[in-house]
Amino acid sequence: MPSFSVFIGGSAGSISPIITILSSLPADFKLIITLVVHSSGCDKTSMPEALASSCALTVIEISDKERVKPNTIYVAPGGYHLYVENENSYSLSVDKKEHYSRPAIDVLFNSAAEVFGRQCIAILLSGANEDGAEGLLNVKRHGGLTIVQSPESSQVSIMPQNAIENGAATKVLSPIEISRLLLNYNDINSL
Amino acid sequence: MNEQNITEALRTENIEIDLLITAIKRKIGYDLSGYARASIKRRIAQLVIDENVSCIADLIPKLLYSPQCQANFINSLTVNVSELFRHPVSFLSLRKSVLPYLASFPRRDIWIAGCATGEEAYSMAILLEEVGLLNKTQIHATDINTEVLKQAKTGILTKGLNKEDAARYQASGGTSSLSNYFSTAYNKHKLSQHLLDHISFSHHNILQDKVFCSAQLVMCRNVMIYFDLKTQDSALALFHNSLVQNGYLVIGEKESLFNSSLNSLLVTTDEPAKIYQRKSSDNA
Repeated sequence: MPSFSVFIGGSAGSISPIITILSSLPADFKLIITLVVHSSGCDKTSMPEALASSCALTVIEISDKERVKPNTIYVAPGGYHLYVENENSYSLSVDKKEHYSRPAIDVLFNSAAEVFGRQCIAILLSGANEDGAEGLLNVKRHGGLTIVQSPESSQVSIMPQNAIENGAATKVLSPIEISRLLLNYNDINSL
Repeated sequence: MNEQNITEALRTENIEIDLLITAIKRKIGYDLSGYARASIKRRIAQLVIDENVSCIADLIPKLLYSPQCQANFINSLTVNVSELFRHPVSFLSLRKSVLPYLASFPRRDIWIAGCATGEEAYSMAILLEEVGLLNKTQIHATDINTEVLKQAKTGILTKGLNKEDAARYQASGGTSSLSNYFSTAYNKHKLSQHLLDHISFSHHNILQDKVFCSAQLVMCRNVMIYFDLKTQDSALALFHNSLVQNGYLVIGEKESLFNSSLNSLLVTTDEPAKIYQRKSSDNA
């Protein structure tokens, strides 16, 4: 059975839930995690280092055509759109911004939906933007699972709220519930 | 639509993309088959919106029967963006480590492959001027896209001059004020003529044309990200062939030689700055 792949998008106020989720994962966590965070969501370009210090998995900022390795969290570089090129690699572009953002969450989710279909788990976190909803809808259409951080647990609820109102959420969960769900999927994946 | 229909729609869309790419190749001779799939797909989707058609296949008759669409399509699908002193770390390293070596040549040729709207070439001219090497240096700036070349030739900045440009210029080791290199009229900024005179802008297709010139320095940044690995490899081979022995290659901040067979023919000069040197044949 092909492995599930996890895609997380966040904007303003998303660093705290990202750390909550990632720090709960064990070093042998099987699912590949790919992360797009708007520049408004973090004040430093050194986000990979910041995340690495709080989680057991390796954290890598993606280079063009980067090959996917196990037990790794992949982070989109600032200033580039990130695409899933195929099941094993990423590609980048500097095409125009979407929702005033590059990287844009929709770009990642849309390409992930097509490549991973039912094996795609897309998670949208806190933010003050409308990015992500269209991507989540695409993930859903392709049979994937879409999770939106609950507005009441979000520091900035505009982005989650917008996704929920557009019918893009399969589940609405707090960061701790998202961690539990990922650990469950990891167990299913290990069977 | 249910999931099965979606999978079928995706399959159909991929057929449409293949057909469009074949039509472009056979009708106008541009081979886009080596472009990275995900990003070209997004550009094609944008073209469907801009041309106001209902599906990708509807672009094909337009392409076949309208010469204006042919130029428009190819320009839309190959347009790249640029900015002055992009990736300042790289310009700083060029200034400190590469240009002193280039100074040892009586004449210099620099090839900017994929120059987009010209900012990379303008930045290079400014840098050369500041280190006293502009004289006896020719910058050859090329792009596949005729529309951006037209813009680049004017020397006028498409996005004007802003604080971020000035900050990148300073971070690149700039010794003057960036605005000193531009004349301003009607709210437009134009590169000084004596700098522009050292840049030639020409049409060149990295994937299909031969080496553009023999050069001491080749710069190609954020162009190869749009190619698949095999195509990146042929582009790198072209750049390698273009370089004189011990000549330098500069690639984009997030690009890498790691996957390429050319890796062994180039020595890393400065990895964070993405600068590499062609090995001379005696130590190759």
